[in-house]
Amino acid sequence: MSRRQLAEAVGVNNQTIGYLERGDYKPSLELALRIARHFGVAVEMLFSLERFEPIAMTLKRAGEDE
Amino acid sequence: MMPRPVNILSRLDKTVRWTGIPAMLAVEMSDAPSADRKHQPLRWIPIWPIAFSGALFILSLTWPSTLNVTALLMLPSLGVVILAMVPMIHMSGPLGKPSLEDDEREAALRKDSFLFCLALLACLNCLGQPVLMILSHLQNWQVRSGSVAATALMLNATLFGCLPTLYASWKLLRVPKE
Repeated sequence: MSRRQLAEAVGVNNQTIGYLERGDYKPSLELALRIARHFGVAVEMLFSLERFEPIAMTLKRAGEDE
Repeated sequence: MMPRPVNILSRLDKTVRWTGIPAMLAVEMSDAPSADRKHQPLRWIPIWPIAFSGALFILSLTWPSTLNVTALLMLPSLGVVILAMVPMIHMSGPLGKPSLEDDEREAALRKDSFLFCLALLACLNCLGQPVLMILSHLQNWQVRSGSVAATALMLNATLFGCLPTLYASWKLLRVPKE
């Protein structure tokens, strides 16, 4: 999914999605909930008070578990 | 549907359509969804009018004889012209535009910019007014105080028009492409 598609789906400018991806903008609760609803996941899956670990680390750990 | 009558105003519209400005304005003033709209940061352009107004203000304080009556009449006009031009290049859109289509980040940035601008202007004016009063008393200003007042007004107007754009443009970080 592109930034533009997500921006249109949640009703914001696509630059705002770019800032969210980079962690340069903290969304309002309403926007966070709209994005979570769009993806059909809980808001904690997308936003957290702690930094998410890099995907590479998650994949590596999953590989070690198998 | 009845065709629109061709009157003098629509003819005047046609004469300026080639400039592209009416089309730009129509896009800016539309209520269309804003997902595709990109604000162009203007980090250097607003500095020019501010520097120009600041230089004129300093000139009126230091060499008042260089600013004659003609310049005195031209300065407020120039300020109005600059103010009229700034909304065209304002990164957050025209100043008078209803910001209904701004999303929450843009609205917050616009609010921050204007708060910063108004706070700075208030501080500058609070500091500047007593300084001007003391200077006028010490130097016994008479006619030339008019040029100082005119240039101070122009500086205020220019700062009000350009500072929010300047602040928002420097605060806006570059987003890498997808």
